[in-house]
Amino acid sequence: MQPDYRSKYNTHLIRIIVTLVVLAAVGIVVRAMVLPESFGRYGHYRADAIQDEINRPIRNGTNASCLVCHPYIRKMHLEGVHRTVSCEFCHGPVADHVQDGRVIALLPKKQGAQIRTLCLRCHNRIIRARPRESIKMISMPQHLEEKHVRTDHVCNQCHNVHAPLMWVRQAREIVGVGEDKS
Amino acid sequence: MMDMDAVQEEINRDRRAFISKVFQGTIAGSLLLVIPAGAMDLAGIPEQIPGMRAETGPFITRRKFAFVVDITRCIGCGSCCVADRNEYQVPEGNYRTWVERYIIDDHDNVYVDSPDGGLDGYQEPRTDIPYPVRDTFFVPKLCNMCEKPSCVQVCPVGATFQTEDGFVLIDQKRCVACGYCVQACPYSVRFINPVTRTADKCTWCYHRVRKGLLPACVNVCPVQARKFGDLNDRESEVYKILHLPHVVSVLKPGMGNKPSLHYVGLRREVV
Repeated sequence: MQPDYRSKYNTHLIRIIVTLVVLAAVGIVVRAMVLPESFGRYGHYRADAIQDEINRPIRNGTNASCLVCHPYIRKMHLEGVHRTVSCEFCHGPVADHVQDGRVIALLPKKQGAQIRTLCLRCHNRIIRARPRESIKMISMPQHLEEKHVRTDHVCNQCHNVHAPLMWVRQAREIVGVGEDKS
Repeated sequence: MMDMDAVQEEINRDRRAFISKVFQGTIAGSLLLVIPAGAMDLAGIPEQIPGMRAETGPFITRRKFAFVVDITRCIGCGSCCVADRNEYQVPEGNYRTWVERYIIDDHDNVYVDSPDGGLDGYQEPRTDIPYPVRDTFFVPKLCNMCEKPSCVQVCPVGATFQTEDGFVLIDQKRCVACGYCVQACPYSVRFINPVTRTADKCTWCYHRVRKGLLPACVNVCPVQARKFGDLNDRESEVYKILHLPHVVSVLKPGMGNKPSLHYVGLRREVV
């Protein structure tokens, strides 16, 4: 008779299988505990993160959100050559000024030398930017010398920052000088 | 035997309390709908991207957004950088978007600088260039929103991901700031935010776009050098730029990331 070489003892197999099953169960439980609820709904990420990103507060508005409460500035700004310039670029984000329809603080106004720095961001000839549209480029202090004013003049002494040519044109009308070439 | 009047009284009181609670709840609920809970009142601002506020699903449908930067228009004023800092209150020394200045002298040497990311504009010319300057131009940089983002591929915890509408976003609650994505990004747009202690980058202002507003930088650009629009809309400016003859390119096309950020007038000097 052929001897039976197969062992009748299978406890080692059972041990391995039980261990694997326990490990898998523990793994599934731990995974369920550790992974956020919405993880994997659309991909390998937490689906609620999209909503978190959408809920980020908006701090910059648009020019429309500023001009709705400032009708005087609105008229000047929209008629002037600075109509494409953003209010919030110079003044700061609307969220620092209005929250839930209520004014919470006033935005700081640029003064003195800050104004010159601000103007020269766009109008500085010396950095040799090449604007596509006609942006008046000037050199400082040559521009002040050409106009025969003191070289410590600040831009907004001659130019209304919202409509830079408004006062210049008004002055020309009053004095009756023709259109300046420059 | 029980006093029936007392029982009846008890029931009536409960009814009254119940009805008054229902009314209070209804009034409170409708007030919540009327009073905006967000930081800023959106009601007064007209939509810049028509129809976006009607979209309520998890993803944007029927639209494929693209970003176009026209470097022949950019004048290096830094409005975009200011708007970006205001929108996200990015800690100093970190930049979600920045503007680089390229200077080429008449010996074809290329000089690139970006003092404080162009946040204060460019007030001074460079004085360290030995030869006469042949050309100067400005290159705004931001997230390229790759179709095949390597940052998403390397993230070990699934904190950075690509939505079905093509935006690459970061889950601020899940990121462990390991910095793999910072290294993986071929365009160096990622950084570890020292305040939130997570990876951070430009999102093309996803929160603004979903509420119908243009990205903050696009909104403030005084010369329309930054353009944002829908490629499925054949009337949009970005569609016309990308489908009609223009000098258009992307940064580092050889990396194979397929950026959705396109540059008009991009030159081979730009990296």
